Amino acid sequence: MAHPSQLGFQDAASPVMEELLHFHDHTLMIVFLISTLVLYIIVAMVTTKLTDKLILDSQVIEIIWTLLPAMILILIALPSLRILYLMDEINDPHLTIKAMGHQWYWSYEYTDYEDLGFDSYMIPTQDLAPGQFRLLETDHRMVVPLNSPTRILISADDVLHSWAVPSLGIKMDAVPGRLNQTAFITSRPGVFFGQCSEICGANHSFMPIVVEAVPLEHFENWSSMMLQDT
Amino acid sequence: MSLPKPVMRGLLAKRLKFHLPIAFGVAITTFAVTEPRKKAYANFYKNYDAVKEFKAMREAGIFESVRPAGK
Repeated sequence: MAHPSQLGFQDAASPVMEELLHFHDHTLMIVFLISTLVLYIIVAMVTTKLTDKLILDSQVIEIIWTLLPAMILILIALPSLRILYLMDEINDPHLTIKAMGHQWYWSYEYTDYEDLGFDSYMIPTQDLAPGQFRLLETDHRMVVPLNSPTRILISADDVLHSWAVPSLGIKMDAVPGRLNQTAFITSRPGVFFGQCSEICGANHSFMPIVVEAVPLEHFENWSSMMLQDT
Repeated sequence: MSLPKPVMRGLLAKRLKFHLPIAFGVAITTFAVTEPRKKAYANFYKNYDAVKEFKAMREAGIFESVRPAGK
């Protein structure tokens, strides 16, 4: 989850998010590099006593400041496209979950084998147990098996919502009448938090998402238990 | 006697030769961020025991789908 005064991304919990993190580092480094270089050149230009009377038609510098930005842009574009296509690879998911956005809660359906469905409401602040996170906890969590490619189909029942879990590198709009698909793999067990990311009314800030990644046998026990309860 | 002739040409090139390597040198130090971070992730997962971590998390009681062993 996010922590106070955080500046960067949350630690990655899926391979795609790791790639996005490294790409962000790479691109930000290029941006800092260019900014530092330009700032230094500005200072050097401003503090010189030399005056250049040859200010027309400097072929060399023109070539340099055309080619260098072109090369930098290619340096950014190649990893970017690589990740773009990597994110589109959905190779035979082991599980499909449907996430429906409502005003103002999410509902999850696991219909691969049985008909399991449940709602996930935020736990109000006054009902939190010690150690729970304010505005992030829900009464029912979306449990997924660890290290298993999982497909998630996202839609909405009323208005636009967006299903987002930063540490998994996922954000997908929930559009009424439309089914959006994305997939992920959790690299490590744990609990991962997200929040609705498309303004959807009064309680838009109060419909969080919690994903729990556990080993497969525990996931199976959980889903049997949930089926008995519902 | 006449004074020695002052340097009249190549003043900008001389300035650039001095300043440009410094500019690029300072800019290149930003490379020091990306490689350690990639290595940190690789090292984290190299000897990562998911089962052990899961058991520790389970005992800490953070999961809702799995209670601590014995409960």
